[in-house]
Amino acid sequence: MAGSSSNQDIFDVRKIRRMVELMKEHDLSEIDLQQGEVRLQLRRDVHIPSPASVPLPQPPPVAAAPVAPAPAEPAAPAAAAASEGAVIKSPIVGTFYAAPDPDSRPYVKVGDHVGGDTTVGIVEAMKVFNEISAEISGKIIAVLVENGEPVEFGQPLFKVDTNQ
Amino acid sequence: MFKRILVANRGEIALRIFRACREMDVETVGIFSEADRGAEYLKLADEAFCIGPAKATESYLKIDRVISAAEIGNVQAIHPGYGFLAENAHFADVCQSCNIEFVGPTHQAMALLGDKNAARSLAAKADVPTVPGSDGLVNDEGAALKIAHSIGFPVLIKASAGGGGRGMRVALNDLALKSAIQQAQAEAEAAFGCGDIYIEKYVEHPKHVEVQVLADHHGNVVHLWDRDCTMQRRHQKLIEESPATNLPQETREAMCEAAVRLVKAADYTNAGTIEFIVDREGNFYFIELNARIQVEHPVTEMLTGVDLIKSQIRVAAGEPLPFSQEDIKTNGAVIECRINAEDTENGFRPSPGVIEKMIVPGGFGVRFESHVHAGYCVSPHYDSMIGKLLVHQPTREEAISCMLRALGELRIKGIKTTVPLLKKILQHKAFAQGQVDTTLIERTWPS
Repeated sequence: MAGSSSNQDIFDVRKIRRMVELMKEHDLSEIDLQQGEVRLQLRRDVHIPSPASVPLPQPPPVAAAPVAPAPAEPAAPAAAAASEGAVIKSPIVGTFYAAPDPDSRPYVKVGDHVGGDTTVGIVEAMKVFNEISAEISGKIIAVLVENGEPVEFGQPLFKVDTNQ
Repeated sequence: MFKRILVANRGEIALRIFRACREMDVETVGIFSEADRGAEYLKLADEAFCIGPAKATESYLKIDRVISAAEIGNVQAIHPGYGFLAENAHFADVCQSCNIEFVGPTHQAMALLGDKNAARSLAAKADVPTVPGSDGLVNDEGAALKIAHSIGFPVLIKASAGGGGRGMRVALNDLALKSAIQQAQAEAEAAFGCGDIYIEKYVEHPKHVEVQVLADHHGNVVHLWDRDCTMQRRHQKLIEESPATNLPQETREAMCEAAVRLVKAADYTNAGTIEFIVDREGNFYFIELNARIQVEHPVTEMLTGVDLIKSQIRVAAGEPLPFSQEDIKTNGAVIECRINAEDTENGFRPSPGVIEKMIVPGGFGVRFESHVHAGYCVSPHYDSMIGKLLVHQPTREEAISCMLRALGELRIKGIKTTVPLLKKILQHKAFAQGQVDTTLIERTWPS
């Protein structure tokens, strides 16, 4: 995958995404990380019907995390894994943009409903801005790429719950 | 020197370029299709991007995706390897417009020499002998018959937009010529998008000898001697060697000098190969100039000690050639065998699949260029060549003996390869005597 210099921050979206993948790959139900005073916990429903919703002994200081992406993002992948949604992939190579221009709001966010023709983002290639259509209907349950991130052919961009 | 280069290719040539760049401290960006995802050789690149599904037309041949990968990979240059986009003048032009250096000739030189008919005219102007034939394109039957009668049958009808051994038909008489022309035009239109054809005298049982050249952006042109590629099957090379066998030194020198003249006349830069055919009387004729690095480039590297891939990159970066013609020395004899994943007992049909076990030969003077290994899955989507085995020895006899020994050590289990056939060829008397021609395989082992 397109790699760039990684930072050590446990709230880096790329790292969290990778952790979610690892959880699915190895059928893990929980990852619990601590870094200084900051803690990240990811949980996923695996076969067991009883919810493992025991509260943490330490306060989850997600809101205090000094990261640019919305604090809600780290929780989203865990919820996403639970309903194994479909994925919107990039049909081309280029740079992903979440909004039509830097001053506008993103095309979609978690929770939005999309139809086949809904534009969910832009992938810019060779100065041409290609609108990416959802091609499937459902609810956006995860945004898997950051604004301005390089993406390759077939790279997952969004997770969609097609049941909603 | 470039900081980063994108390698717009796959397999063994991509690996070759990654290696050269690593040694020069140049970072690399690889590209891959879904079929090549996870390939071990890609790990030698600093970054790699998926650019499409398995089909080459939707991945390795997709100019916009290759350029996009170059942009997000932040490269200053693209090395196209051989095949795919290597001789696509439009691609070279696009690279230039995007301010990315193309490691190869200019698109103008490529376009000029890609037109085989135009290349012939240029050769004539540069005093490079060409096969007797039509003065230009042949448009109708009447003209074709006239030319055929003046140069004499048999004649070869060739597609102007063709190359690499494709788009050619032989006609032995008037009747055959008429139908051959129609078929050749239709085939050329379908395969190359251009139905233009020209006619040449058909040289029977020729030797195929090519000359490697390097030209920088400062006007320096050198040749790196010849390669004999006569050992072919259906116009596809199987074995290459240098020096060319049974070629008088003065003929060799004349050919190499002719190659340099042509390169200068075409304003051609970077690496290139000038192909000639040599008839039974020892006359040589220019066929085409391949505006790219070739599969068999390691033959010349071993013979002369010059790293051609690094030279290409240096030339593209604007450096002058660090050697003059007098500095290019040859040493001993080199033979290369192409190892293809093909079933030679069943019409050479491709034999894709997983390589279960693999043992690679070694020893003094042995070089194995391959991206495959035990566990590798040879996919059916691309060229069937999985590796090149080269040997370098003081004499040709020793090179043949070494190659036989190395082929005996090479073990590839799980797919069929051309190794058994290669051994047979190397043991054939005609090969030992350098008396082969391009039709030997079909005549000796028809299938």
